[in-house]
Amino acid sequence: MSKEFSRRQFLNLSGATLGAAAIASMGMNSGWAHNNKTLPVGDTSVADYSTDVLVIGGGMAGLFAAVKAHDAGAKTLIVSKGRLGSSGQTPFAKGIFSFDAKEAGMSIDEFVNKVSYSAIGTNNPVYTRQVAEHSKARVEELREWGFFDSAIYNKSFMRPINERNIELIERVTITHLVKENDRITGAAGFSIDESKAYFFSAKSVILCTGAGGFKPNGFPINDLTHDGTIMAYNIGAKVTGKEWNDGHPGRSTNPAACYDGWGNMFEQKPSTTSVGIRHDLGMEANVMAYANGNPSQMRPGMNNKSSYSSLKAPYRPEGLQEEQRQSPPPGGDGRDDKRRPPRDGQGPGSDGQRPPQQKAKGKGKGDNGGPPGMGGSIVGGSSAGMAIHKSEGLVPINDKCESNIPGLYAAGDALGSYMAGAIYTQIGSSLAGSAVQGAIAGKAAADYATGQKGSKISSAKKQEIESEIFAPLKREAGYSPAWVTQTLQGIMIPNFVLYVKKESLMKAALAYIEELRDHHMPMLRAADMHELRLAHETRHMIISAEMKLRASLMRKESRCSHYRIDYPDLDNENWEAWINIYKGANGDMQLEKQPFNS
Amino acid sequence: MSINKISGCIGCGECVKACPTDVIRLNSKGKAEITYPADCQICHLCRMYCPVDAISITPEKAIPVVVSWG
Repeated sequence: MSKEFSRRQFLNLSGATLGAAAIASMGMNSGWAHNNKTLPVGDTSVADYSTDVLVIGGGMAGLFAAVKAHDAGAKTLIVSKGRLGSSGQTPFAKGIFSFDAKEAGMSIDEFVNKVSYSAIGTNNPVYTRQVAEHSKARVEELREWGFFDSAIYNKSFMRPINERNIELIERVTITHLVKENDRITGAAGFSIDESKAYFFSAKSVILCTGAGGFKPNGFPINDLTHDGTIMAYNIGAKVTGKEWNDGHPGRSTNPAACYDGWGNMFEQKPSTTSVGIRHDLGMEANVMAYANGNPSQMRPGMNNKSSYSSLKAPYRPEGLQEEQRQSPPPGGDGRDDKRRPPRDGQGPGSDGQRPPQQKAKGKGKGDNGGPPGMGGSIVGGSSAGMAIHKSEGLVPINDKCESNIPGLYAAGDALGSYMAGAIYTQIGSSLAGSAVQGAIAGKAAADYATGQKGSKISSAKKQEIESEIFAPLKREAGYSPAWVTQTLQGIMIPNFVLYVKKESLMKAALAYIEELRDHHMPMLRAADMHELRLAHETRHMIISAEMKLRASLMRKESRCSHYRIDYPDLDNENWEAWINIYKGANGDMQLEKQPFNS
Repeated sequence: MSINKISGCIGCGECVKACPTDVIRLNSKGKAEITYPADCQICHLCRMYCPVDAISITPEKAIPVVVSWG
């Protein structure tokens, strides 16, 4: 009789366990996260796959990466932790930017310059230019696939995948990238439906894993935990942008209800957006709430010095004033009025989007609402743990979405391309950028694979990884991922820690996060495959929290979506630079500056 | 509650696949069951993918909510 069985048998006989299980099965809220005690997982097994190009992630970037890698002649496989077009932020992004010089009345050069001006230099003009150059072509492909015909995207995403017979594996969570002999050789993870490890040998890998947050309340990113970023960091990739923040507030009534907070936007069909340069959704609402308390005073015309009491207002470039963007409301300026008169067509995966409305489940009427606070009181931290789209992720070493690890590419929110900079500058450009970058990375990864000999992941490496993947399942005792996540949220979300930053508070938070990293993380315990996924997600959130705090401590100035109460001014002398993070030789987190535009 | 009720399920599994956070599983009778309610992000994708409108959802989170400021 196995040890596992005897343990299960013992636990199943425990009265307390039965009580907890009964409560859980009724979905009742006991106010804390249970450490589940049932272990229905039997022996684990292994599945092996081999491909030229491996695409990890099934959102907009993953779709185009797979299609273009295949079309460039590479054997391509996509693996996603969810369903194609129904996981990450893609399902909720409703506006997609399509640059047309004639319609915009400006050249690409002018567009890039305007974005750079709003972004206060934080954008990477190479990638800003790329989205303008290629967005229209990607939008036209999406139109052919039927993307604009439905509010739900799985069917239109499946069309090009089926037409090309590209292999797709869903509900498999990737936890490890594999690097041998200084180049990428594949990836590994597990299925949430069976206790099976999955190994993918590949000549090149494209991370289309999105960004992430701390499973915050009010933003549909609870499946996004910076998985790709942390896996890549673990094998030596450089990561950037962890000090930036998405400043979305949420509704005070049922703040966790993403659908209700966004009106009926999730049920809208997607639409295109045209040029409209903004400087949106930085820290202003948060700084005002810090200065004055709630209910927030944020409303049109209130963004002046008096709104901040004695605090210094975040710097806003001349000509991009708050008043200008509030009529029509955020997200409204860039819509194509001819096509979608009643709606702004933006969603959480787009940038410059309309903040949540107070009104629940509106049906068109009155949905255009106002900026945060206009419809009633708001709360902060709706997207806690997430940065501005495309400002965080792997550092690209060229214009081909390639990382510093040979054979490893990233696209979309997994790539720190700084396409829009460290503030929302162009509505809908995030979804378009994911499509554009996915396509570029797909082609580049296929070209790279052509010159490589296939190499299998070694059996020693596989053994080591398999043991790491299943470790939380094998632990007799430990901490439930739900509890560790709640603890992390309690450190990183309240007290304006990431919104109105100050050294003392961030150092205190860092001490707690180091404790989670050193003590809790090695003791994460999973009761089943669902919890195994949560355990790995929790690991990734802990490392991301450490990165966010260290980068925020290092940047001793305020710029775009990073606001320090102790350094409230721009510091162009020292800080016209991005912060990159990498794992040092001793395993410690190292930070370095990279000058803008270098 | 978040996902409140699944009534009239035909067992197609669309909601299971559509859920980004793995809240719903098919039970031993092949019907959708709310299995991990604490992880529901109240995004309604399950309801939108359900072909027979079997799913009803309420806006309350199943576990305590943490906000940055209130």
